Amino acid sequence: MSYAVEAENLTKYFGNLIAVDGVTFKVRKGEIFGLVGPNGAGKSTLIRMICTVLRPSAGRAYVEGYDIMKQSQEVRKLIGVVQEKLILYAPLTPVENLEFFGKLYGIEPKVLKERVKELLEEVKLIAVKDKPVGTFSTGMRQRVNIARALLHDPKLVILDEPTNGLDPQSVRWVRDYILNMKNKGLTVILTSHDMYEIDELSDTVAIMDKGKILEIGKKEDLKAKYKANKIEDVFLELTGRGLRDEISGRLRRRGW
Amino acid sequence: MKRPIYHLYIIMRKDLTEFYRVRARLVSMILLPILLMLLFGYMFPSNGTITHIPIAVVNQDQSTATLSMINSFIYMAQYGGSFNVITYSSVSQAEQALLQGKVYAVVIFRQGLGQELSTGKATVQVIVDQMNPTLDQIVTAGIQQIFSQLNVQLNMNQGFPSSLGTISVNFQGLIPGAPSSFEFLAPGFIAMSVVMGGLAGLAMAFSRERELGTMDGILMTPVSRFSIVMGKAMAQAVRGIISGIIIVILSILLFGVKIYGNVFLMALILFLGILAFTGLGIIATSFVSDQESAQMIMLMLEMPMIFISGIFYPVLQLPWWLRNIAYMFPLVYTVTGFRSVMVMNAPFYAVWNDVVVLLIYSVVTFAIAIPLFQRMVTK
Repeated sequence: MSYAVEAENLTKYFGNLIAVDGVTFKVRKGEIFGLVGPNGAGKSTLIRMICTVLRPSAGRAYVEGYDIMKQSQEVRKLIGVVQEKLILYAPLTPVENLEFFGKLYGIEPKVLKERVKELLEEVKLIAVKDKPVGTFSTGMRQRVNIARALLHDPKLVILDEPTNGLDPQSVRWVRDYILNMKNKGLTVILTSHDMYEIDELSDTVAIMDKGKILEIGKKEDLKAKYKANKIEDVFLELTGRGLRDEISGRLRRRGW
Repeated sequence: MKRPIYHLYIIMRKDLTEFYRVRARLVSMILLPILLMLLFGYMFPSNGTITHIPIAVVNQDQSTATLSMINSFIYMAQYGGSFNVITYSSVSQAEQALLQGKVYAVVIFRQGLGQELSTGKATVQVIVDQMNPTLDQIVTAGIQQIFSQLNVQLNMNQGFPSSLGTISVNFQGLIPGAPSSFEFLAPGFIAMSVVMGGLAGLAMAFSRERELGTMDGILMTPVSRFSIVMGKAMAQAVRGIISGIIIVILSILLFGVKIYGNVFLMALILFLGILAFTGLGIIATSFVSDQESAQMIMLMLEMPMIFISGIFYPVLQLPWWLRNIAYMFPLVYTVTGFRSVMVMNAPFYAVWNDVVVLLIYSVVTFAIAIPLFQRMVTK
């Protein structure tokens, strides 16, 4: 199987609002797949469906050949997710946080201990392993968050705006780490509003707007097609330059 | 001076607008005072006191004088609706009914009473419930009054042989000594604090994780929704039991409260009470996503329940429809069972019905809560 993710006509409704509108795409194994779109384009909803947190209203998707609806438990074992919101418990130490999630993934205690140590060394936090995460800077927390996503040795890593709010040093570290993941053979889906980041890291780029994928292709092919030097230009060409007034589905339904 | 007041106004307006925009909070704010007002209005009716209190009568004497006295007693007790008299054939059966809360006093007409009467003075033994001081006083005064009237009748030879003397009443409780009022209120407070504490923690446990995003982290792991819901519920139950132990120890050390019953049975009732509430709480809060709304909903659930579940006032004081509502929620079973064991040394057979109701309540609410949780997080 050459695809890590295959989505076919994936759709999600929230009441009358269509958040993801019949999206079809494939992510090759071992590539970095950049998913970009303006706010409210449907990226996070699409990702939450692939992660099996949200149930699609229609369509199908497979992760490493496993159906996200029928084989959700298998899919969860294969995916590591870094969301914009940090999935960490502030009063717990990095070790406690990682061990908690590791146990939920069913990692053997002995293996887990080693894995936690190895990852904390990798994200350069071994020195503060016994301090509560709540005392950490945003950059440090994001590194623990990345370690958490990699705990169970996933085949697919989904990073939803992983550098948002980080200082330049942390941003550089996260970007290098993402490239490192690719070098290790992991497949990465990356969403970001930072077009430079997408341009630098992605192999394939999908541009989403209003719940649909407007364009998808190899980064260089897209630039060539739109005679652009940067992915940002392709993005603006497709989604427009005007300011957006996107309202979240929930508020829209209330008629505000 | 003008500026700080203006800023104060701006902040207040923002807070109120924010509050107004979240419907669950708004509805709770309006409904809660209405509910409480109605409850208090019906709990303290302006037209009278508690009526139709069930009491037991045990007759161990078959003499004509005693039978006549019992008939008069039953007539007077039921006339005007003060008591409902249930006759039992043995004292142990009647005591069991007392422990189970089926009756609130046992009036024992002992063997040889008729003979004692003919010699001048007889004593009737009354075992009172002692579970609730308010009810205890009403029952004691009511029974005392009936026997005073009976004495008047005896003196006037109304329906009795002219040779009969007077009856004195010996009131006693199921537990030794003269326990303080607080001893009877304490179990209710303890059960309430533990169960309510658990419920408040639960609102935080789910909504907070959803708000922080950590719930997503758990949902993305290969863990069943059953484990997530039950894991959180059990954490609340353990917290509740620990806080229960602390409150009990403080009650003993500071206020001289005594434990007469089995502590493991007490812990079991508390544990089941918390579980039942937790299931109910998950159902109630699964419709909102933020912590504050969840807390408001919990408050709406908790506040009326505190007043109708027999913690401060007997459930009998409530009108029939409110009493039925009280029996639909688990707090009344938790409080009754816990109090019976702690104060009256009730054995398992006396509280088994409370235990079974709480168990059924827990199973049913979790059977609803787990799929509801699944639906709410994945919809």
